[in-house]
Amino acid sequence: MFDIEFNKVSKRYVRRKAEVAPARAPLWERLLRTRQDEFWALREVGFQVERGEALGIVGHNGAGKSTILKLLSRITAPTEGEIVIRGRLSSLIEVSSGFHAELTGRENVYLSGVIFGMSRREVAAKLPDILNFSGIGDFIDVPVKRYSSGMYLRLGFSIAAHLNPDILLLDEVLAVGDVPFQWKCLEYIQQMKKEGRTILFVSHDLAAIERLCDRALLLSGGRIVCEGKPNKVTLEYQQSALSVSQLPEHARTASRQIECTRFSYSNANGGAVRPGGSMSVRVDYAAHKPMQHAVFNVYLYWPSGYLCTQLTTGEKGADIATGSGYVEFFCPIVNLRPGLFLVDVAIERYPEVIDWRHRCATLRIDEGPVVSGDLHMPHEHSIVAGAPSSGALDGSQVGADIR
Amino acid sequence: MTRPVQVIRPPSFSLRGIGQQVAMLVRHRDLLYTLTMHRIRVRYKQSVLGYFWAVLNPVLLLLIYAAIFSRLAKVPTNGVPYAVFAFSALLPWTFFSTGLSGATIGLPAHSNLLSRVYFPREILPLSYVFAALLDFAIAFVLLLALMFYYGFRLTPGALWAIPAMALLTVFLIGVALFASALQTRFRDVGVAMPLLLQLWMFATPIVYSRASIPESLRRWYDLNPLVAITETFRGALLHGAFPDWARIAECVGVCSLVSLVSYGWFKWVEATLVDVI
Repeated sequence: MFDIEFNKVSKRYVRRKAEVAPARAPLWERLLRTRQDEFWALREVGFQVERGEALGIVGHNGAGKSTILKLLSRITAPTEGEIVIRGRLSSLIEVSSGFHAELTGRENVYLSGVIFGMSRREVAAKLPDILNFSGIGDFIDVPVKRYSSGMYLRLGFSIAAHLNPDILLLDEVLAVGDVPFQWKCLEYIQQMKKEGRTILFVSHDLAAIERLCDRALLLSGGRIVCEGKPNKVTLEYQQSALSVSQLPEHARTASRQIECTRFSYSNANGGAVRPGGSMSVRVDYAAHKPMQHAVFNVYLYWPSGYLCTQLTTGEKGADIATGSGYVEFFCPIVNLRPGLFLVDVAIERYPEVIDWRHRCATLRIDEGPVVSGDLHMPHEHSIVAGAPSSGALDGSQVGADIR
Repeated sequence: MTRPVQVIRPPSFSLRGIGQQVAMLVRHRDLLYTLTMHRIRVRYKQSVLGYFWAVLNPVLLLLIYAAIFSRLAKVPTNGVPYAVFAFSALLPWTFFSTGLSGATIGLPAHSNLLSRVYFPREILPLSYVFAALLDFAIAFVLLLALMFYYGFRLTPGALWAIPAMALLTVFLIGVALFASALQTRFRDVGVAMPLLLQLWMFATPIVYSRASIPESLRRWYDLNPLVAITETFRGALLHGAFPDWARIAECVGVCSLVSLVSYGWFKWVEATLVDVI
């Protein structure tokens, strides 16, 4: 039994030229300019989600992921095709967006609960649970404009968590709130999965997709290009990521006299990279002009977006002749934990940016020796029996005696 | 527990689907109720006079019109004290104009909600209409008090005011749905609305009587459904008069047609409303 069916669904957005005509343009021009820009966000997309299955959808920005969610939650309608939904559906989004500042927390629970599809009686029955879960306490009868942003979020989430849907839509939910809040979200999602609810998860967080989903789809340009086991699909996504690049502000000025054309990596034997093993990273370039002091940089980011580490050819740079070639970095021991890293590839001649490929690829470190935490520190160990516990190593610093 | 099955298809304009749409609306009646109460609750939050404003507003309006039209301009009122004459028509008009102007801005004002969750979109404009109806109910008590003060007594004929209000509500819903859907694409509607309402008010026998309109113009004048509705409402309450059947029948026809077509169109536009808002 399928809970969600997409049958050849297409969605077209139309941008009317009149909207982009400047307000200063003559009136007749604004009224008569009827030429329209078309944009197909989805093109004949077909897939099914079985009852109790968790399906992940990955893809670049603009690939059509959010459009699928919008169509499912009926926020907008498809241009072609048919969608069948069996069951109550709700999305774990910021329910607090429906809050009205002047109303009290209690009044807002009623308002939002009803907006998100509960009856007043259902809200009344769940009200004690919702209040309890939110931990708002006495503030429940205070207008929400007096709430801290954390309280706002908590109240919103506890309403969402009590909607009790058959089908749950998730859209980058884990990206908001503080750490305890994220834990609460995660716990809730895991609970929903255990109870056999159908889940549709749209995310950039490939690790989360692999952890949560039974199956995944890769969208590109509004079409499904790959479907299957999550790790297979995320791998495909990473490879397709090579051909796409989006420039941040500082890289727009890049002259691209030398261009990065390819980013690839492997261990010394051409296999998967694992903690404790080796890794070689290769950046292919095409130089349109000869250049002196060109610096090649590879930046690795955590999925959260923080810079993790950098590979560089050094500040002085090298002289590059016209033509194509590649730079190879070799790391004898990989200290990173298993997971996915976002990659920027840059060619610079300080302080000038020659080419900057922003998040142009992902780098995957496969499971290796057990690693918890952020880094793998290569280490050895020995166990010495019968030694007095007070004696520290010569010249070492005493941390603490642990009792 | 049986699960609801939804089939989503591209939007199409059909009057036949209206039955299902209304059924859907009925399932969401709690939301309509909650949002209607929400309008009222929010309006008077953090105001000292609170719900008293619902009474104060029409009273002040009445005083202004009474001062202008009974002192400065002599209006034939068929022997009815001017205050009662004007107020009895001002009430349904205020309901109409508040409902319409609220409903017009209703959708864009809630765009963040519209882009996050689905519910039958007509609930937003409708909540403004029903909130205005509640205001009307409060002010109606005031009208009754005023009538008793001037020595009017209600007769069974006064009950005709109820179908008149029902008709007005149907017409208002039609106009409000049309205006609010149009407003999502053309904000010009909201800008022009105050002027339009002003014009419409003077084209309706509120501060004057239909008798003041020259015979030759009445054919055109009567095209405005509010004329027959207002006259019926006022005549029923003040004189216990029965409606003019021919005109009211015509009015019923126009109002239901406007409402039906407007609702059908609204539901058609609704499906992709978020894309243009």
